[in-house]
Amino acid sequence: MKEELIISGRMNPGIDPFLHIWHWHIPVYLFLGGLAAGILFFAALYTIMGREKEMPTAVKWATFVVPIALVLGLMALFFDLKHQLFFWRLYTTVRIESPMSWGAWVLMFITPLSMLWAASYIKEAIPDWEWKYKFMDQIMALVDKYRKALAWAMLALAVILGIYTGILLSAFNARPLWNTSLLGLLFLVSGMSTGAAVIMWMSKDHRERKIMSTIDLVLIIVELFFIIHLFMGFMASTAVQIEAAELFLGGEFTVSFWVFVVILGLVFPAILEIMELRGYKIPVAVPALLILFGGLVFRIIMVEAGQLTRYLY
Amino acid sequence: MTTSNIIDRSKRYTNPYLSGFLLGMVLLATFYITGRGLGASGALKSAVVTTVAAVSESHAAGSDYYSKFISDDKHPMNNWLVFQVIGVLAGAFLSGAFAGRLKLKVEHSPKITSRTRLIMAGIGGILFGIGSQLGRGCTSGTALSGMASMALAGFIALLAIFGGGYLFAYFFRKFWI
Repeated sequence: MKEELIISGRMNPGIDPFLHIWHWHIPVYLFLGGLAAGILFFAALYTIMGREKEMPTAVKWATFVVPIALVLGLMALFFDLKHQLFFWRLYTTVRIESPMSWGAWVLMFITPLSMLWAASYIKEAIPDWEWKYKFMDQIMALVDKYRKALAWAMLALAVILGIYTGILLSAFNARPLWNTSLLGLLFLVSGMSTGAAVIMWMSKDHRERKIMSTIDLVLIIVELFFIIHLFMGFMASTAVQIEAAELFLGGEFTVSFWVFVVILGLVFPAILEIMELRGYKIPVAVPALLILFGGLVFRIIMVEAGQLTRYLY
Repeated sequence: MTTSNIIDRSKRYTNPYLSGFLLGMVLLATFYITGRGLGASGALKSAVVTTVAAVSESHAAGSDYYSKFISDDKHPMNNWLVFQVIGVLAGAFLSGAFAGRLKLKVEHSPKITSRTRLIMAGIGGILFGIGSQLGRGCTSGTALSGMASMALAGFIALLAIFGGGYLFAYFFRKFWI
């Protein structure tokens, strides 16, 4: 029997010279998680504000996307696991200091909640819909009865989920690009922006679309500020952080990040949204798709580039 | 998709002489900022090379033509013209939105159908694509940027492209007007 003893991370080819253990699964999962968080946040927010009638897409129709996004995202996460059959062990403990524990538990609550939420509106979407089992009607009646309370829970869980998609990376304190407390907020805002884009895209109501478009515009501006702030922070920090930032400021990811994420994924859709708010006719699918595309590319680049940055030399 | 039989010549179109002048200024700015000229067929070529290499890497590497654009340290899509064309699309979209003309439609003369127009445009495009590779560039890459840098080939290409079009227009006019 050949025995191998690894006594240092530096002897692990998956870690040294560069971390390369995460491929497409993780960014796709982070994207879908952020998207789900964004949609649920607005659904909960407008329910709490009592504006279901004005914002039917935000409160009802867009939430049908969420269970699908979460299931697909969790499947991607599952495929990434090395020991897939041991995933349940995450649920044998609660660790407040571990982002993975936060993520596992928040998903444990928000996934069934999002399914219940969408299911409770299925009769409005498909008038002929009949539940096969009687107890489903009873559950739906309960959801309706406690809708406001559920909305408050969903609001909190959506924010935690959105932040978690960022802190999952920022908890890696050995990767300078990820190890910044801004990442949680940046991913939350970006996720909310992609969620708003989906609502805007699905909405048929002119007023609702305008409200979501305005919100999205604000989110894009905040996100741009965070991105600038992120690089300001890196450049004012130590040599490893400066080197991490330089991947985006002349290095390998300069073109892909600034062209696809910042210009095409944020600035251009923002211009289109401003034009739409000023009365120009813009097919809403174009800014919405660009925002979604930018959000996905952003996560792919952050995961890819973060793995290249390190402290060890 | 709607079809309009007659091109709407409303005053929202810019004066062609002014747009020509502006295009020249864009070219000047491009030379100044990037040190390169404008191009269009080059971006398509990059896309074709990438597709061929993705389908069969050995075929692309073995071909005299494709292998020229493939190297280990630079992806064929990592080309300035590819990004320029993305910019052209974005800019054109904005321009269309400003003029209120964002609509999917086929413009053609009332005497031909949309189908004829699309098929003929497709055939014409393929011929132009082949021609642009034989001539090492299209109207923008060879003629426009070439003439701007006073390259003789640029002037010859422009005369050949427009002269050729002028000569053959008579025979193919039924496909257009």
